[in-house]
Amino acid sequence: MSGIRIENLRRSLEGVVASVLATADGDGMPNVSMISQVHYVDPDHVALSYQFFNKTRRNLLLTRTACVLISDPATLASHRLELEFVETQTSGPLFESMKAKLAGIASHHGMEGVFRLLGADIFVIRSIEEVPFLALLPPPPEPPLLPAVRQCVAELDTCSDLDALLDLALECLERHFGIGHSMILMVDARERRLYTVASRGYVKSGVGFEAAFGEGVIGVAAMENTPIRIGHMTSDYRYGAALVDTAQRAGLLSTRPVEIAFPGLPSPGSQIALPIAVGKSVSGILFAEDENVMRFGYDDEDALAVLAGYLGAMIELLREDEEELSDEPGPAGKRTGKSITARLHQADQSIFLNHSYLIKGVAGAILWKLLREYTSTGRTEFSNRELRLDPGLRLPAHSENLEARLILLRKRLEERQSGLGIEKIARGRFRLVVEGPVTLEEFDGSGSSGTPVANI
Amino acid sequence: MDKVPLPETPQRDLADPKTPPSLARQGLLTAELVALAQGGVSVILASCCADGKPIAGIGVGARIDTAGTIRVFLTRQANLRLLEALEAGRAIAVTFSRARDHVSFQVKANGATILLASPDDTPEIARQSAVFRDELIGINLPRHVAEGFTTYDPNDLLAIEFTPDRAYVQTPGPGAGSPLSP
Repeated sequence: MSGIRIENLRRSLEGVVASVLATADGDGMPNVSMISQVHYVDPDHVALSYQFFNKTRRNLLLTRTACVLISDPATLASHRLELEFVETQTSGPLFESMKAKLAGIASHHGMEGVFRLLGADIFVIRSIEEVPFLALLPPPPEPPLLPAVRQCVAELDTCSDLDALLDLALECLERHFGIGHSMILMVDARERRLYTVASRGYVKSGVGFEAAFGEGVIGVAAMENTPIRIGHMTSDYRYGAALVDTAQRAGLLSTRPVEIAFPGLPSPGSQIALPIAVGKSVSGILFAEDENVMRFGYDDEDALAVLAGYLGAMIELLREDEEELSDEPGPAGKRTGKSITARLHQADQSIFLNHSYLIKGVAGAILWKLLREYTSTGRTEFSNRELRLDPGLRLPAHSENLEARLILLRKRLEERQSGLGIEKIARGRFRLVVEGPVTLEEFDGSGSSGTPVANI
Repeated sequence: MDKVPLPETPQRDLADPKTPPSLARQGLLTAELVALAQGGVSVILASCCADGKPIAGIGVGARIDTAGTIRVFLTRQANLRLLEALEAGRAIAVTFSRARDHVSFQVKANGATILLASPDDTPEIARQSAVFRDELIGINLPRHVAEGFTTYDPNDLLAIEFTPDRAYVQTPGPGAGSPLSP
């Protein structure tokens, strides 16, 4: 192969400028068409989108060769790739990543509904040839990304707890990458959902917002453990009322569920979601977005994927075991006297404070346990370990990140300012802060009114 | 950008909705197709090398005479191997694609003749390139990129001449590849 490397031509593969695909049948009759997507796979492979069973497809299956002309949208430098067909993938990370990108391209070209990915056709690159063209002067170089990655990693290394790590990671994205809108979601492995624990750059924090595996860019990235990047947003990957409405119409939901709205941009141009994973286990998603189209390129994806991987390793490192608790009593929480009515709906473990929704699921169950304990014994100090071992909370042994649940709970309580709070007092230990008298009520979903279970 | 409606027939796909279809033909092609091909569109080409492998090329414009013979203009430097294949008598495929709505068609022939572009081609190539540049700007390509794409070395221009014996709808979608009946 010539000395030209496909890694250096990835800007030509972003779909800004359509590429040209030539194939031939067994009799040497050529076929030529414009294609919207040539996808970088690795230094030796690219993938083309298979959208229709047409002449191109028949030729590929028959002669297994293709020639593709690509052009750099900034310099117009053009290259001819000689390709040999290897296989078609119809599911999996590469397929999903191409499907999402194609949806964005289709939306950009007014072709939503026409462009649907049937398969990812994988090709080995046999040669790359430069096509002499009247190229433009290259644009001024972008700031290199590797120093930014290194700086972020150095800063994240200073963190000693998960809470600080997550917030600092998003701050680093802004300071070192100029990414102003970002969030981190953690995986609820049992429910196959993700819940937001940290966000930056939004009007509402959105902490507690949930996405199901497979839903939108975040859910697909988690399901496939692969980065998902869209340069032109498309309704196929939006979060919003539409999904809920569809589910309601289909009878999957009887009533509109209580939920925290997606805090993201109303009209994003670009979005990217990267798995926070250690090996094959995804513990969360790092998500970023921008008003501008084509904000995140292949190089950004590489840099952010490294950071997300590092975050995954740090999250594992910072899993907290409890410290010995000193005998000294901590400072008492301020007593404002604000009375608090907490209501548990057993069906989904959702908790309402003074009639307003707070949280549901595991975090809801944790808060209920703390409040029950507090109202029956007056105890305010707890350890992560006792929560982890509590059979009532049903936390999976390894995949569950209890610290992330506590961060979610703490942030939701802070946002609500309803007289309850959680404070960290030592590694693996925290205190429930209660500012006034608490009344607990439980609803069992039978339609009867709430049963007061405690009043203190 | 407006959504592209799904065509019901190949002929409907390529027809200009604002004007009634014309019965006039230049060889295999209707007047609408001729107008599209000469209207400042993307012109892409392919042939086949001696080893059976396809080779892609790119053109800068086209003219179609009353008998339906097509002259595609291209620069020699950017298409050396494609020209070698055509010189060796191999088949040709050319697709014309309008940037604003992707309406496209493809023509094929068993061979083509390579000629020098004639002096009277020059103003027409310049006109088509200018229209194509404006079309690209119209779909939000930055002006300098659109200008770069439609700039060529006039001293390097060649013409490929052939009479197509088949034509197909090439607008992206399930109808792509349907033959256009004469």
